[in-house]
Amino acid sequence: MLELIRRRLLTALPTLAAVVVLSFVLMRVAPGGPFDGERPLDPETRAALMSAYGLDKPLPEQILLYLDRVLRGDFGPSLVYRDFTVTDLIARGLPVSLTLGALALLLALAIGLAAGMAAAARPGCRSDRALMFAATLLTALPSFVTGPLLALVFGLWAGWLPVSGWGDGEPRHLVLPVLALALPATGAIAKLARAGLAEVLRQDHIRTARARGLGGTRILLVHALRPALVPVVSYLGPAAAGMLTGAVVIETVFALPGLGRYFVQGALNRDYPLVLGVVTLYAALIILFNLFADLAYGWLDPRARR
Amino acid sequence: MRTSLLIVAIIALAALLGPLALHWRYDAIDWNTVRAAPLSPGHMMGTDSVGRDLLARTLVGTRVTLGVAAAAACVSLLVGVAWGAVAGWCGGRIDEAMMRIVDALYALPFMFVVILLMVVFGRSILLVFLGIGLVEWLTMARVVRGQMLILRERPFVIAAEAAGLRPPAIILRHILPNLAGVAIAYLLLTIPQVVMIESFLSFLGLGVQEPMTSLGILLKDGADDMDIAPHALLLPGLVMVSILLCLTRLGEGLRDRLTR
Repeated sequence: MLELIRRRLLTALPTLAAVVVLSFVLMRVAPGGPFDGERPLDPETRAALMSAYGLDKPLPEQILLYLDRVLRGDFGPSLVYRDFTVTDLIARGLPVSLTLGALALLLALAIGLAAGMAAAARPGCRSDRALMFAATLLTALPSFVTGPLLALVFGLWAGWLPVSGWGDGEPRHLVLPVLALALPATGAIAKLARAGLAEVLRQDHIRTARARGLGGTRILLVHALRPALVPVVSYLGPAAAGMLTGAVVIETVFALPGLGRYFVQGALNRDYPLVLGVVTLYAALIILFNLFADLAYGWLDPRARR
Repeated sequence: MRTSLLIVAIIALAALLGPLALHWRYDAIDWNTVRAAPLSPGHMMGTDSVGRDLLARTLVGTRVTLGVAAAAACVSLLVGVAWGAVAGWCGGRIDEAMMRIVDALYALPFMFVVILLMVVFGRSILLVFLGIGLVEWLTMARVVRGQMLILRERPFVIAAEAAGLRPPAIILRHILPNLAGVAIAYLLLTIPQVVMIESFLSFLGLGVQEPMTSLGILLKDGADDMDIAPHALLLPGLVMVSILLCLTRLGEGLRDRLTR
């Protein structure tokens, strides 16, 4: 277990460094810069700004300096939001995005697993087919369609919930965004859970359990569910990444002050430190999440504990 | 599966040939109608918020989206099959290193790199699908490697090796034909993924640019005024959902049949 954690953390550092370098280079080959405004700056001011932010040094040196600063937890100043450091902006946006993503992931797991089990309980039945059709449908609807649709129905027509805004994170404001963010992952998890269960239910130990007269629900919950969760767990890493990217859309649709919007704005404004900070942070989060998923593997399937 | 194939074929054919038969071009503005309802004279499916024929736009948008998706899926097919085949064939350390890279890439917020790519390369449609293809090959590589590990032990491969054939020849002539089915199944499953990414980029305004259109753009425009003109969302939404549902069914059906 400790060995696994140690090995994963060792591979995580080069991965993170690679992400930072890749994003750094991509940002810099993009035409345009952070100081291109409507009026061109005069060359002297421009040169002064460039050297103040260290943008005039050779690229490899800049990258090394940046990596060094990030390791000490300093993401540098934002070039466009002049009064803020990137750390400030992250501290404002991250709680919103994390709350949104975590709640949506939990919701997707709860509904998806329940639907998958209900479908696998009677394979080939009408309820199975209906559930799987619904699951595929959910994965096929972009959240920028379901989001406004939910806002229209529950917000505007029914008037039960606020249409947009964060409102200091009140639960009322969270319902619709979390739901819209969770829907695609719900479909995917339901399908994976059903496939995993169908696979396990064909195996010998299930037949034995059935022969000993155990009830269907008991078999499903006690004997089949744990091994069947393996494909679901392996999907959690990509799902978490999907939540973070999905949050970009949801934050725009529901006008939430999350990190995703800062990222897109930063990329368009060539706000180099902001973009790099967000990418680095997200990569680190996802790597951490994958580590948890790996540990969960060991719990689900003793053969994977090596 | 047969119905799914039929529906996809009909939609693809309509997208290819349909615009030729229509009176309105996808970017032509009919100054007399704005947000016309479906079945209004001259516009079978109505018009959008600036008076462009919705049917023409949907057909052209479908064509663009399917084109982008197919091209990106092909890029992912090439990269994924090559990567997976080499890893599976070589085995040992090389295999482990290559698969570790795939694992590491899986763990990354790749959409963010795609967004960066789009910003960098000025939103050219060619690069949109190249970028997407370069993101979507990971699953393909895993699947192909898995198949490769099985095929590598099969008698006909060992026989070919014993006969002195070189690895590239064995892979190309004897193994790839056996991989084709599974690869095509996953190719079909990649296309819906790419369509979703395309629509995501269009939503952010980083995909295909106006007046050119795509399903993603039509959905975004439709979602923007769904409360006053729901038909502008309904038609492209219906097309998109049926394409994704049918391709997923086809791909999953094919996959389950081939890997049982």
